[in-house]
Parts: sequence; C-alpha cells; structure tokens
Amino acid sequence: MTGAPLLEIENLRTYFYARSKQAFIRAVDGVTLSIARGETLGVVGESGSGKSVTALSITGLVSAGPGVISGTIAFRADGVEHNLLQDLEQYVRLKERDGRIVEVSKDEPGWRKAVERLMAPVRGKEIAMIFQSPKSALNPFARVGDQITEAIRLHTRAKNPGEAKERALHWLERVKIDSPRLRFDNHPYGLSGGMCQRAVIAMALASEPSLLIADEPTTGLDATIQSEIVGLLAELKAEFGIATLLISHDIRAISRLADNVAVMYGGTVVEHGPAPDVLAPGFAPKHPYTTALLASIPSVQNVRDKGYLTVVEGEVPDAVDLPRGCRFYARCNRVTDDIRDKCAHHEPELKEVTPGHHVRCWLSAE
Amino acid sequence: MTRYSQIAGEGRDASDLPVWRSADTLDLAYIGYGLLIVALVLVSYVLGVFNWLPHDPEQIRFDLLNAPPGSAGHLLGTDFLGRDILSRLIVAIQAYFLPGLVAIVISLMVGTTLGALAGYRGGEVEVLVTYVNNLVDSFPRLVLILLVIAAFKADIYYIMIIVGVTGVPVVASLVAGKIAFLRQKHFIEAALVLGLPSHVIVLKHILWYHCGPLLVIRATIGMGEAILIETSLSYLGFGVQEPMPSWGNMVQAGANYFFQGKFWPSTAPALAILLTILGFHLLGDGLNSILEDRGGK
Amino acid sequence: MSRTILEVMNLKKHYRQRAGILSAVRWRERVIPAVDGVSFYLKEHETLGLVGESGCGKTTIGRTILRLTPATSGRIVFDGHDITAMSARELRPLRRQMQMIFQDLDAALNPKMRVRDLLREAITVHHRLSDDEVGRKTGELLEQVNLKKSKLSSFPRELSGGEKRRVGIARTLAVGAHFIVADEPTSALDVSIQAQVVNLLRDLQRQLGLSYLFISHDLEVVQLVSHKVAVMYLGKIVEMGLADRIAGAARHPYTQILWSALVDRKSAEASRALPTTRRGAWGVFDFERPVRGCRFAPRCPVYEANGRPAVCTDAATEPELRDLGGGHYVACHFPLW
Repeated sequence: MTGAPLLEIENLRTYFYARSKQAFIRAVDGVTLSIARGETLGVVGESGSGKSVTALSITGLVSAGPGVISGTIAFRADGVEHNLLQDLEQYVRLKERDGRIVEVSKDEPGWRKAVERLMAPVRGKEIAMIFQSPKSALNPFARVGDQITEAIRLHTRAKNPGEAKERALHWLERVKIDSPRLRFDNHPYGLSGGMCQRAVIAMALASEPSLLIADEPTTGLDATIQSEIVGLLAELKAEFGIATLLISHDIRAISRLADNVAVMYGGTVVEHGPAPDVLAPGFAPKHPYTTALLASIPSVQNVRDKGYLTVVEGEVPDAVDLPRGCRFYARCNRVTDDIRDKCAHHEPELKEVTPGHHVRCWLSAE
Repeated sequence: MTRYSQIAGEGRDASDLPVWRSADTLDLAYIGYGLLIVALVLVSYVLGVFNWLPHDPEQIRFDLLNAPPGSAGHLLGTDFLGRDILSRLIVAIQAYFLPGLVAIVISLMVGTTLGALAGYRGGEVEVLVTYVNNLVDSFPRLVLILLVIAAFKADIYYIMIIVGVTGVPVVASLVAGKIAFLRQKHFIEAALVLGLPSHVIVLKHILWYHCGPLLVIRATIGMGEAILIETSLSYLGFGVQEPMPSWGNMVQAGANYFFQGKFWPSTAPALAILLTILGFHLLGDGLNSILEDRGGK
Repeated sequence: MSRTILEVMNLKKHYRQRAGILSAVRWRERVIPAVDGVSFYLKEHETLGLVGESGCGKTTIGRTILRLTPATSGRIVFDGHDITAMSARELRPLRRQMQMIFQDLDAALNPKMRVRDLLREAITVHHRLSDDEVGRKTGELLEQVNLKKSKLSSFPRELSGGEKRRVGIARTLAVGAHFIVADEPTSALDVSIQAQVVNLLRDLQRQLGLSYLFISHDLEVVQLVSHKVAVMYLGKIVEMGLADRIAGAARHPYTQILWSALVDRKSAEASRALPTTRRGAWGVFDFERPVRGCRFAPRCPVYEANGRPAVCTDAATEPELRDLGGGHYVACHFPLW
C-alpha cells in the first residue's frame, strides 16, 4: 500500500439524543479508521456497536440530532483531498465535564448546508453506498434501468441518454443479473431480493466510485442468495479493485472478502488489522472481544459434537451509559489482577502490537 | 442553535425519565393551560349547582341595563336586562356540563365498541361497521340536529345525543386504526397463543394499554365540540332557551348591542367560549404528544 | 420409546389474493399455496428443525399448528387431540401445552407492560394463584432463563435483544408448555447473544423435557439443536431425516445446494467443486403458473445434467416423499448418489 490512504477517519464522534432519558446516545465515540486504495476493509461488530452510523457519518447522511459532533474525515480521490468535515466545527459547541460531553449546541441548518456543499462533489460519485435492504434503496415507481441510467448521467461523463443506457445495461450484465435487457424495464417489485441487490450494486458501481460502502449487503437475503452476492462482490473486487468499506455482522462473509478487518464494540474500534490475523482463531495478540466473538460462532466441531456454544456472557453496553474504562471490561474473561484497575477506570489506546495490527486492550499495551 | 444537554451523570439507571421531565416545555404549557380550564369548568359547575354566585343570574334590574364592567359590584357588567354577566357565565356551564358528558360517553362507548369489533374481528363485521360509519358521517350534523329539534323540541339533551352519535365514526375509526396498527406487532397473537380469551385481549391489551390516551384525548376534544355546536345552534335560536343562560344565547343576545358600543355583553361569553375550547384542544394536543408519541419510541 | 406429541398430516394452507387492478369488478382470485401438503410428526423431547428459504412456508406451518391461522385442509393432531377444527374455547386449555417463540423480539411483548406484568399474565392465565405463589414462580422463571431480578420493573423497550428473548421464553415456560414452536428464535439477535439463547433453549429442553419445532434459516444452528430436520421448498417438504444425515449426506439436490451455500461461506475454495443452481430461473416463484411436476426442476442442476427428463415436469408425477431407510425421506426422482 503506497501513498496516503484513500479514506482516513480520525476520532469521529456521532451522538444521538434520547429525549425520554435526556441523555446522549454515543453511537460512535472516537472511531479511527483508514482504507487504502484498492483495499477492502471489513467492519464487524454487533448491533449498536456503531458500524452503520460510522458509514452514515462518512456520507453525511446522519439526519437526527446532534449527529456528527467532532472528528476528521479525509478523503483523497482524483488527486484532490477532501476534508469531509472541513470547518464544520464552527457550527458546534461542546461542553465537557470530567472528560465527557454533557452539552452540545449545534447550528443544525448551518451544519446541514455546509455538509451538502462538502458532500456534493463526493457522495454518489466518489463514494457509493449499498444498503441493507435493497428493495428500499430503489425507487419503487421507477424502472430499474432508468434509475441506473440516471445515476450514470449524473455522475459520469456519459451524458448522452443512449450512451448512458448502454452503460447501464453493461453494468447490469457485469453484476450477472439474468436477462439484463428484461430486468432493465422491470420495476423493483418484479425483482427478487437477490436481483434487487444486484441492481443496487450495479447502480453503485455505475458511477465509477473510488470508495464503495456496503452496509450489511447480504443480511436479510436467503442463504443461497447470500453466498451468491458474496461471490459476486469477490469477483468485482478482483476485477475492479474498488476500495470497499464492508460492514457486516456475518464474519464469514467478511473473512472471505476483507483484506483488513476492524472490530467495533461500544462505538469504538477495539481491533484493526489484517484479516487473516484478526479472524484466525488462535492468533495471539488479539482483543478478548474478538476472541469471544469468533468463539461464539458454531464451529464444525460444535455442530458435530452437539456441544455447547462458547458464549460471551452479558450484553452489549448501552450507548447511553458507556463505561469509563475499557468498554468490554464487564464481559471480559481475560482481566488479570495486575491490570484490573486500569481496565475498570481508564480506556486503553488503540495500540500497534505487530505492524499494521492495532489492539485496544491493556493486555496488549503492557 | 439547537441545544442538547445531558442531565444526569454516569452510572445512572438508563431507564426513562418520568413523562413530565422529558416532555417538551410547550406541551407541558398546553397541558397546564388545559387543566386550568378544566378546573375552572368544574369549579363553575359546582358553584352553579350550589348557587354560590356573586349575584342572582336571573334578577332583572332596569336601572342597570348593559352596565359596563365594574359598575355596582358587577365584575363583568350586566346584560340588556341588567342581569349579572359573571353569574350568568358561571351558571351557563350547567347547560353544557352534563349534556356534554352525555355526548362524550355516547361517542366513546359506541365508537370504541364498534371500532374494537371492526378492528379485532375484521372481515364482514368491519365492512358493516365501515358502512354504518360512512352513513352517519355523510349526514350533515347540523341538519340532523335541526331535524330532531323540529320533530321533538329544542332540548339540549336531544342535541347532545345527536352530537354523541355523530361523533361515533371518528372514535370508531381511530380505535379500529389503532388495532390495525397493533396487529402488525405480534403481541396480540402472542396473547392469543398464551391462551387468553378474546375479551381479555381486547379489553386489557388493546383498550386498556393502548387506547387509553387516545380516548382521553378524544374526550377533551369532544367537550370542546359540544360547546361549539351549542353555540352555533344558539345563534340560530335553537340552542338553550332563555331565561336559562348558555354562552351561545348570551353572545347572540349581546350581539344586538355590540355596535352601540356595549361590547361586553357579547364579548365576555365569546371570550369564554374561545378560551375554553382552546383549552380543551390544547389539552388534547399536549396529551397526544406526550402520551402517544412516547409509546412509539 | 417416547410418544408422538405432534402429528401433521397432509397440511395445506392456501392464501387467497385478489388479482389485478380490476379485481374489484371482476371477481378473480389467485390462490397462493404457502403450504401445500406437508406431513411430519414430532416425538416428545425431540427437536425438529424446519429449514428453507424465505417464502417457502415454514413460518406458515408454525402459525397453522398453533391455529393462529386456520388450515385449508389436512389434519393437525396434538397430544392425541385433533385440533384442526377446534373452536377457540376448546383450544384454550391446550394452549397451556403448546407455545410459540416469535421471531420479532419487540413485537411479541406488549410495549406498555412491565416485565413483571408480562410474566404475571402468563403465570396466571391458566392457573389461579395467590400473589405469593406468583412471586415465587416469577423468581423461578427468572432463574430458569437467567434474567436479572432488577429487570422486572423494566418495559420491553428498555431491554436488550437478548433480554427480550429471555422474557419471551420465560412466558412460554410460565404457561407450562412442553411443546414450543420456535420461529427464528435467534435471527434477530447478535452473534454472541445467539449463542446464549441457543444454549438456553437446549438446557431447557434437557431440564424440562421440551419438544421444539425449530424454524430457522440458520442451518448451523438448526443442525446443532435439531434431532431431525425437514427441508422445505415452496410449500413442500423435499427431504426429511436425521439432522446429521441431512447436513452431511443430503439426497435432494436442493438440500445439497442449501448446505453447500454454507460451506461456500466457510471457505472460498471449497465452493468450486459443488453444483450450483442454474441461473436464469433464479426468480421468485410464479404462483400464477400452475405447478407441473417437481417444483425445484427449474432450478435443479440434476434435472439439467440428466438432459431435462420429462418425468420431472410432468404434472401427473410430482415427486412424493419416499422412505430411503433409516427415517430418511426424500421427494426427488433422481436422488443424489
């Protein structure tokens, strides 16, 4: 990997506000990530770990308040560096007490206007998104082909309708939708879930983005379709090498597609490193959460012996009341007496343990 | 600038705050005002019942015709027969209170029953209920009332029964809609699988837990409606009949003197109507946003 | 030999749907055969896994067995009682023995009731108990499903996914059920919580002797918890047998494809050797077109490999479940190997 990364997120914080509790929901709380050109970064984590909100924050699509409140997102495409949160801090005032944010004042209309200005040259064109439910990502009243054609005319140099249509058909063929010419004229309701997802992928790729964000692209699809979509993504990756941020809770899909993996827990990244290292069951320098997560997937051995599944006791921390120390401390089974105090009261840094492999744990920090 | 602030520190129980602490200030103001109006109405009703009034509302004084507010101990002045306006305003509640309750009870009881039947049973029952609702709804309310008055007599109870009956479709469709919404969630099915009999499911799970706020809100709005209808009828001369005061006939009687500069005999009851109906509606609005929106979260 | 607790015979559930914009004028309906002639039985203390893709009718079977929706035809015999056409009143005492775990975590719990009331309701629905007894029973249930006592005063929305699931399970136990239809009990949960719930369900089966109809599309979990597995395709069972046989030695091409998708996700390389379905016919099932012969034929690699034999698409010879020995049934003219 040479040169500066394509996307660099630093200390991103995206908060929501629970009116009925008068408290912040700290959905994303200090996320640092980077994706190199051509890299597929898999983000794994359970629901509420902040992975989807991270994706929405990158594309400026967080609409509920307070939303993104601090951090930097650097995006380098076409030789231009965009800071996707440039000068936005002027719209936000934060009040902290004991190192925690207790009040956010945000000029929301001003912020939104500024975000739209910053996002206009990027969203859809340089950064394309694939969402979890393909049916809701397509306009139900427009023909599938027209929607792709529209994206092409909007984002690429193919402005001429005939040319754009040819491109759209080309992309439908590329995602291996069957009888593309027929599907071009279909409305989304005539397509099965798998075909819709293919169409959405075609639409995302059609604008020739530098970064593809795929948020749970296989969730909700049937098992056989899931493996086909994963297969398709793998082929497209081999062919085009588009940098991809792949968000999924399906660790198998991630392990098949990702070069690097970031494990999220409680709104932050607890481990980040090369996929084989992070996802291999026996690899040593690893966050206890990653270990536990991998162990809780039924293994071939489990299934054969009808044995018990290894479980992570307890529940995911509530984003309203994140612990002050290590976020995994309450469920961790590897705490030793030497570090117990640190685990309980101080959050560890994301520290490089081997080249390119970062772990946020006091065990590794020693 | 939108401000979001966290009130409590760490480690606090992450459960919800009590309603009034998390509610919008404006909603609380609405409810406060609404409750004030409800209290005033109740107090006036009690005062009227026991006849604890500043003056006799029917005592005619020819020496004090259309006397301005404040004169000779008449706080709001007197009307064209020299009767005390304040006392008459208070007594006028008598004309609304019980009849209004009758209207509300009719529309809520019948509406809830029909709505629950339509929503829970579905199928042909629903078609039938919808049909009846449409039939009632398509009849102009005022015409119906005038017909009844023509056939029987201009009695406020007759009028309010019609108001109640014509209010049925709204309540029925609200309840049926609510049940249709609840059906998408599976707890009704879960209750059925548990072995609960249908009447328990309808009464407890649907009506008690989920339709309570809705019905309270409907009731407050219904009260406002009852007052408004009576006022319109009084203006036509079909409402509460003299010498029994009602806000409607007071406005109507006072209006004759309005352009002679004697504005108080009509303005006082008009303001009473305005403020009261506003109170009922704001109460309904406020309750709606803090009780109904909350469950959805 | 344990006895049979549930027997389903030739169960059919057809939904009617009005067809087209003019349906209001021209009375034309189309019939969607969600479940089209399904037979199976379940023994006491046993788990039958029901797998298949979305829309294959597996959830409908669960709902029909619990009489949440009436069957079109066929017979459901539960614990010796034919419940297919029982009235709601007759059915109520039987409800005590058969319960359901709903897929949707939030929806199955009345959002306005606290956990305490949700449990109390389930405890008292079939038994009249004093407050003390209810309290004792509640404590017992909490222990069984491993839920903290402090959660009793919470509303469902204040619970995490795993806790909601535990409350749901506690409610089925409170009634005293020994047969539970578990409709995708883990699909809405996170991986680490899924494992907790799967272990819990298996523990409870061991302790209380429960029988499960375990509906899921998660093949690994099904294989893990089930003793037998039935594979459904478009409203029919295409293969049924012991869980490990189904997973490891499938005879129906569809079953094999289903499980190979799983292997496929496990390792990228292994997928090449396995047959894949024909693309081209990879659409939704068209209910307007009458079924002719084997429903799977349009997607079947074996049908293709055998040069599209006429017997597969002949309306008169729709494959029926055949016993292959050892309790292994398959509905295919050309079973694998």
